Amino acid sequence: MLEARGLEKTFGRITATDDVTLKFGREEGELVFIVGPNGAGKTTLVNLLTGLLTPDEGAVVMDGEDITAMSPDERVHAGLARSFQVVRVFEDMTVRENIRTVVLARRKRTRSMFSLADGHEEVEVTVADLIEKFRLEDVTDSVAEELPHGDRKLLDVAMSFGLDPNYLLLDEPTSGVSTREKEYVIETIVEVSRAEGVTTVTIEHDMDIVTEYADRLVALHQGAVHGDGTPEMLETDDELRRLLLGVET
Amino acid sequence: MASGLETLVVQTLNGLQFGFVLFLVASGLTVILGILDVLNLAHGELFAFGAYASVGIFGYVTGAIAAPVSGGIGTTIVFVIGILAAIVVTGLVLIPVGVVLESVFLRPIYERDQVYQLVLTFALLLIIIDVTKFVWGDVPIRTNSVYSGINQIPTSELLGITFPTYNVFAIVLGAVVVVGLFYFFARTKTGRIVRATAINREMATAIGVSTDRVFTLVFALGAFLAGIAGAVRVPPTAATLEMGTNPLVLSFVVIVIGGLGSLRGAFVGAVVVGVLRSWMISFYPPGEIAAPFAIMAVILLVKPEGLFGTWGETA
Amino acid sequence: MSPGLVDRDGETHVRVTSGLVLSKRRFAGLIAGVLFLFAVPDLVRVAQALDISFFQLGVIHRGLVFGFAAVGLNLLLRHTELVSFGHAAFFGTGAYTAAVAAVYLDVTGLLVLLLLATALGTVMAGVIGALSLRHTGLYFALLTLAFGQLLYAIALGQSALGGSDGMPVRPGEANEPLLFGQALGDAYGVVTYYITAVVVLVGLLVMWRIINSPFRYALDAIGQDRTRAEFIGLPVRRYVWTAFVISGVYGGVAGGLFAVFRRYVTPDGTLYFLQSGDILYMAILGGFKTLLGPLVGGVVLIVLEFVGRSVTPYFEFLTGTVLLILVFGFPEGIVGSLGEGGVFRRAVGQTRHGVASLREDPSVAGDWGRRIGRGLRQQIDESLTTLRVVLFGVS
Repeated sequence: MLEARGLEKTFGRITATDDVTLKFGREEGELVFIVGPNGAGKTTLVNLLTGLLTPDEGAVVMDGEDITAMSPDERVHAGLARSFQVVRVFEDMTVRENIRTVVLARRKRTRSMFSLADGHEEVEVTVADLIEKFRLEDVTDSVAEELPHGDRKLLDVAMSFGLDPNYLLLDEPTSGVSTREKEYVIETIVEVSRAEGVTTVTIEHDMDIVTEYADRLVALHQGAVHGDGTPEMLETDDELRRLLLGVET
Repeated sequence: MASGLETLVVQTLNGLQFGFVLFLVASGLTVILGILDVLNLAHGELFAFGAYASVGIFGYVTGAIAAPVSGGIGTTIVFVIGILAAIVVTGLVLIPVGVVLESVFLRPIYERDQVYQLVLTFALLLIIIDVTKFVWGDVPIRTNSVYSGINQIPTSELLGITFPTYNVFAIVLGAVVVVGLFYFFARTKTGRIVRATAINREMATAIGVSTDRVFTLVFALGAFLAGIAGAVRVPPTAATLEMGTNPLVLSFVVIVIGGLGSLRGAFVGAVVVGVLRSWMISFYPPGEIAAPFAIMAVILLVKPEGLFGTWGETA
Repeated sequence: MSPGLVDRDGETHVRVTSGLVLSKRRFAGLIAGVLFLFAVPDLVRVAQALDISFFQLGVIHRGLVFGFAAVGLNLLLRHTELVSFGHAAFFGTGAYTAAVAAVYLDVTGLLVLLLLATALGTVMAGVIGALSLRHTGLYFALLTLAFGQLLYAIALGQSALGGSDGMPVRPGEANEPLLFGQALGDAYGVVTYYITAVVVLVGLLVMWRIINSPFRYALDAIGQDRTRAEFIGLPVRRYVWTAFVISGVYGGVAGGLFAVFRRYVTPDGTLYFLQSGDILYMAILGGFKTLLGPLVGGVVLIVLEFVGRSVTPYFEFLTGTVLLILVFGFPEGIVGSLGEGGVFRRAVGQTRHGVASLREDPSVAGDWGRRIGRGLRQQIDESLTTLRVVLFGVS
């Protein structure tokens, strides 16, 4: 279980996260979506959970252990991974090298200074497996910088899955992706997280996607939890609809 | 007055004087670092270039006013006018130097790997050293007569301590420039534009600021200040080819202590380093070199971002 | 997998060890390089007979030693993308360690001196690294330079270390360090050269292993995106520190070799920040995106320096200008430019931007010159306009 316990974070006079308490269970393959209008504190929450930011108040607890003071890299090895809103891959590396780096890092093989990087066979098996799952075979040897945007997104997500997480936080994996590719990206994420048994918490703006794939929905507003339940909330909660869609009802 | 106390006062004043010189070098360096994102390794050579240039300009100016007769209050007045003119003109001469260096050499490489701008400014450092050597030779140039000439004005007796008048002059001049600089950044339109650029480059561009111009201006300003510093520093010491290194490295120390890009931090850092160094000279000579670095190391461990925040918001 | 010939992409390649598979051409180059390295003392005699003054054992030796330090620096530069401007600190620490051990501790063994130099250089890198790595980018360069200058100033101020005169590397009675208890006499220069050659080869081999290892991938990741690197589970600072220390080891070894072969160390010759600059220069000159570049750059720069000093007193101007040309014209350096896709290949063999290549039309060289001239004129015009604006506020 990944828990936020009374998380608070302010920037100057702005309260970005206001007493947020949430639990994400270890039900394997559960897809949680976080929604909320701009400035609702979605990214801040992800940053607090993954250790990019330290909360002013409250604690982050994972599988019973308080990880509030843990560095991001330690959290990764404890089973918590994330992606960023903007694609962050290693731009000068090829797709294969990117994924290889991640798998090597997760298995702490990067400590090895004198073995050959491509000589770790179990690592190579995982790398090939990820490339196949995310259908990146055609671009395996392309440099990340030169990939089309959709592939970059996929690579980014593939890298997060390469960290073999129990909990995966994805910050808008479909942002900037064309409508046509969006479906493809999200389907791949759903497919892989179900298959791997990863609890995936995704920030998403596209309500069609949320309605179609969410097992559970968390809505944030002005830093606080507005609602937590099933996607039906979108139908039933008028205020939420107004906040998200700007629709007066 | 007890001699120990007098030594302390004199050394503090000496330190203050050196601190001002250091501030002039470090402020340019830190503003260039903060805005252009360039570590100008050639900055110390601009200082040295200013020192040499001021000697030549001084000679020209005094020659133009009157032939120096030895001794007498007349000579002293000529010296004071000469040195003031030399300092101002040196600063002005360094402006075009800065403009050319920035727009010809630095501008094409902002977008490239940082290593290239470092080796570029290193190359400029090497070239300026040899240009200086070519123009003025590699023998140290002294203007001690100016120093002792100005020192004949008996200000120190007013204070009741023995302190060279030239140093008083240098402190006053340094203070004027410091105040002017803070005024420039806090009150003038151009100064505000520069600060706005430092805080948010894209925003500044969006409201119609030409960042190219700002960059050139900032670099020229840095060169101007380094030139003045060099000119002020010559009379009590000498113009030598190696004189640029020490202020450069101590400016680094100042920047680390004060905080990257902070003008106020640079000022505090410069005074601390200057005074501390000066105390060490008379009380514990072996500490002269190590003391500033020791403070730097402590700051790095305790407050890695330096004493004052980021440049721009707090000028 | 044993050494031998293998087939790769339809061409015969040579497998040297597992992982090191070279095309025939590069294999031949490797063999030639190693042979050349060991033949230098003999070639020097030929050069003397032919009156080629720059090809001296001392000059080449010096170039190799500094180049070796640059190879170490390059680990940081190329992979973590950190520019150290204080590598003379480790070089100088190594050199002074050898001198102090010889003079004050009566250590006579040449190899022992080298070991001590390496050890102290490494420790120094550990300390400076721990303090400097709190920052990145230019701030890191600034800090390494400052710490390097601190060591320089200390060496300059200590009379026990000979102040600005420096100190000899002469253990007690012996006039020079001994190898296995034997005085080398006339053979000293040649024997120390061979020691350097062996150390350089081993050092390159080790570095080659490192830059093909998973560790290298971690450094690359850190260099390209620090935050992301943290979020894939890399303790960033620990990795960078380790890389910094490794590069310091190379600096310390180089300093020790330098002290042993020169038998004299000075603050200006080993610790001054211009030396740090030179070490960085060598990496750029030779090509910092390559393994061998920094070593080649070291030898070339030292030879250039030797020739330059005999031609002109304004030698810094000469090297500064060469460096400018490098930055603007050949950023890939010597080895990088010679390699595939390098600027030389392109210039000689391919048409680019509608401009003919040298091979197609030699007169294109004139066009290049004109283009450079035009570019320079344009920039000067621009700078004059800006100057007018800065001074008089009109455009």
